[in-house]
Amino acid sequence: MSGRPLLRMTLPARAEAMAEMRRALAQALERLHIPAREQERLILAVHEACTNVIRHAYRECVGGSIGLCVEHVRGQLRIRLRDRAPPVDPRCVRPRDLSECRPGGLGVNIIDETMDRWRLRPLKHRAGNVLCMRRRLRKESGP
Amino acid sequence: MSAATINNGCDQHIHDGWTVLDVRGEVDLSWSQEIRRSVLDALATTPGLAVVLTRVSYIDSSGIAALVEGFQQARAKSLRFALIAPSPSVTSVLELARLDRVFPIFADLETAQAGT
Repeated sequence: MSGRPLLRMTLPARAEAMAEMRRALAQALERLHIPAREQERLILAVHEACTNVIRHAYRECVGGSIGLCVEHVRGQLRIRLRDRAPPVDPRCVRPRDLSECRPGGLGVNIIDETMDRWRLRPLKHRAGNVLCMRRRLRKESGP
Repeated sequence: MSAATINNGCDQHIHDGWTVLDVRGEVDLSWSQEIRRSVLDALATTPGLAVVLTRVSYIDSSGIAALVEGFQQARAKSLRFALIAPSPSVTSVLELARLDRVFPIFADLETAQAGT
């Protein structure tokens, strides 16, 4: 990716690390002066992406890590998550039908509804997976 | 703010025969299973459950899943179930998941008891 990162961090792939990630991302997004509701949506989507890595890629095994890189390029937010988990089949990661009322499986819908584009791909030689997400930002309207 | 300073919790009391779970803090994968357990345990002993979400500043899909499971179980047992005064943050996620039209949501417990 090009552009100067707004945020670059490596997280332990543990649910307990997500609060710190959300704080760091909130601080980074503050600098962009985007509406609070938009910030919350973006933080939620990145959180859901991270928790999907923890639950489904690492399968809650201890010791994994997640690399997070957030860039702001020409009015667009580019978010990249990198893990070192076994390869995930992107065909299995799809939003579900929200007309079904059932617990679970909402994380991908939240990502899909929030981002303009996203793509998950396993890396060669079982080196992990990369999730790239993009969202065009809406600026806060001035006074 | 560090994760250690988040004031997460879930208080339980009985009010007019209903069990009331008052949840506070950030409901995410790190402790949503505790909320799920509290909801399901309460449904084993009460004719009506109200989950107060006013002080929930953040909720993720695992927290929403705990509420959906409770709602489904209540419905299957013909028990009353209500979400009370969700915070704007919770409301936003319920809307995103299109669950705002599925859950019985009320401004307060008295309205829930009259309306469910």
